[in-house]
Amino acid sequence: MSTDERNTTEGGSPAAAPASPKPYWIGIGLMAMGAVWLYAGFGLPQGARYAAVGPGLFVTLAGGGLLILGAILVLQIWRGETFEAQDAEDADGSTKMDKRAFLTALVAVALPIVTMGPLGMPFTATLSFVLVANAFGSRRWWLDLICGAILACAAWFLFNQLGLQLGRFFPPLGV
Amino acid sequence: METFELLLHGFSVALQPTNLMWALVGSVLGTAIGILPGIGPALTIALLLPVTTALAPTSAFIMFAGILYGAMYGGSTTSILLNTPGEAGSMMTALEGNKMARAGRGAAALATAAIGSFVAGTIATLALTFAAPAVAELAFYFKPTDYFAITALAFCSVAVVMGTSRTRGFVSLFLGIAIGVIGIDAMTGQPRLTFGNMQLLRGIALTVVLVSLFAVGEILYVASRYRSTPGVMAPIKGQLWMTKQDFARSWKPWLRGTAIGFPMGALPGSGSEIPTMLSYTLERKLTKYPEEFGKGAIEGVAGPEAANNAAAAGILVPLLTLGLPTSATAAVLLAAFQNYGLQPGPFLFTSNPALIWGLIASLYVGNVMLLVLNLPLVGIWVQLLRIPRPQLYAGILVFAMIGVWGLAGSWMDLTIMLVVGLAGYVMRVYDFPIAPVLIGLILGPMAETQLRTALAAGQGNPLVLVSTPLSAIFITLAVLLLALPILLKRLRANA
Repeated sequence: MSTDERNTTEGGSPAAAPASPKPYWIGIGLMAMGAVWLYAGFGLPQGARYAAVGPGLFVTLAGGGLLILGAILVLQIWRGETFEAQDAEDADGSTKMDKRAFLTALVAVALPIVTMGPLGMPFTATLSFVLVANAFGSRRWWLDLICGAILACAAWFLFNQLGLQLGRFFPPLGV
Repeated sequence: METFELLLHGFSVALQPTNLMWALVGSVLGTAIGILPGIGPALTIALLLPVTTALAPTSAFIMFAGILYGAMYGGSTTSILLNTPGEAGSMMTALEGNKMARAGRGAAALATAAIGSFVAGTIATLALTFAAPAVAELAFYFKPTDYFAITALAFCSVAVVMGTSRTRGFVSLFLGIAIGVIGIDAMTGQPRLTFGNMQLLRGIALTVVLVSLFAVGEILYVASRYRSTPGVMAPIKGQLWMTKQDFARSWKPWLRGTAIGFPMGALPGSGSEIPTMLSYTLERKLTKYPEEFGKGAIEGVAGPEAANNAAAAGILVPLLTLGLPTSATAAVLLAAFQNYGLQPGPFLFTSNPALIWGLIASLYVGNVMLLVLNLPLVGIWVQLLRIPRPQLYAGILVFAMIGVWGLAGSWMDLTIMLVVGLAGYVMRVYDFPIAPVLIGLILGPMAETQLRTALAAGQGNPLVLVSTPLSAIFITLAVLLLALPILLKRLRANA
């Protein structure tokens, strides 16, 4: 694979997000991930008795690929590659990051790991609903709570009917 | 003529009342998600996957096909009226279509988009009808070497074409491949990269990765850079229908768009962005009214819209005949086949003709339904945009959560949702393409099996990988593809 010879396009408008212009950490992270995969790959048999290649080969390839790509990325960043945030339908890539909104949404996504099992899906989904709506600027949290609860309960009943295993309705009460 | 008989049989399947109903459900759902922001066809099908296990495969795929086509119709509506292209494929439509809508010609723009989509969808389905069996026939002779070469080609083209740079495309692809090796090795039963965790033994499901990247990543990203003043919707006013002149100016772009879209859709990586871009460039060159381009030229809506829909049919050719997904939606459709224990490919045509031909016939039916659903009812559809964004995105997270939790009720999946969702956020901030992850994830294990089978047959000699004429050609093409970005950059500069 050749390194990309893109000369940095000076497309970043002055208003563009100054989102850490040199994201070396992505390249380093990729290299670290590649190293883990490589290590795991070498721990597996590369050849097998009947097949010419064993289960380790592809893991090694994936790890090696990530390691090299991470290194190339670091090099490109060092040479001044620009990174512009993507535009989405309701998002403007050139605005600054709203940390509070991001963290609120992140909590909404992380919450199920803790509460899904012990407190059940309807409860968790309602809480996440309120959090995400709040992250998007809704301040009528009572209304969100009611909307979220209705949606979560309706979805629980519907999808349970359709054969999904969503667990009990509210485990602490045993229902 | 055999094809014709099989197609007739397909229609007898597709026209059964239950299947008609599923086609309608799919079309309605597809149009709705095409209009709504934050949710697309790939995500919808992924969320429906666990629910559809109770459904017969034919009915499920008829519904999925409706979603695939419907999203294309719905996407054009928002591009024209709101100037917010929901997906890359409608970017070009927004360019001219929104200008038309602001000039009071919104109805004509919507009509040329819908009719163009119908014409293109129908012609492309016709092409699919005859191309698919021919390719499937050819695929009977494919050896593992050929399959490996073709997946290698798919990998290269996806990584090269989909990203802003080759490095970033390959980073996404390799992330997918790396996730794909987690779990029990299918050939030897050896656990790989499970770190002793029992829940990781069965691997990481495509649904979890897809939902996390598309839904969770998008929610985190939009929340962090939310533009709370939504675009102004151009009212549908002015003359209600296309004039004679509109028709005269539209029909050639429809046909040209179809001719570009269908073959491009069948090629891995091109998705719907490149064919629409090509079609737009072509129409601008050929038009008799060059002064109107950029101010609302109807050709600039008709061509790309046709190309967009034809490409949607095009992706079904490699998917059904070779089991080769060329886009995120195709990847999730492949996962759907695997959910039913079916492997798309030449053998599916002989072993399950009712499914294949019922699916193809339902595409014709779905196109008619979508035309009827979209042309007169567009005023009702745009009401969906009134759903307030905070509650809409909150609702999407609820469904994402259900999709992931309902899969196996495992907190490990929920943890993966958080981690991969964060990765999806980072990928959006630093502009890494998303689809190659999914292609790598689903094609990686297939490529691995073919590679190992081929190498085993060749007793470990790597030269076996280019030992057949086809494999040599595919591998050469894959290498050549690495030089493609230079070409593409020129194309983008011209567009």
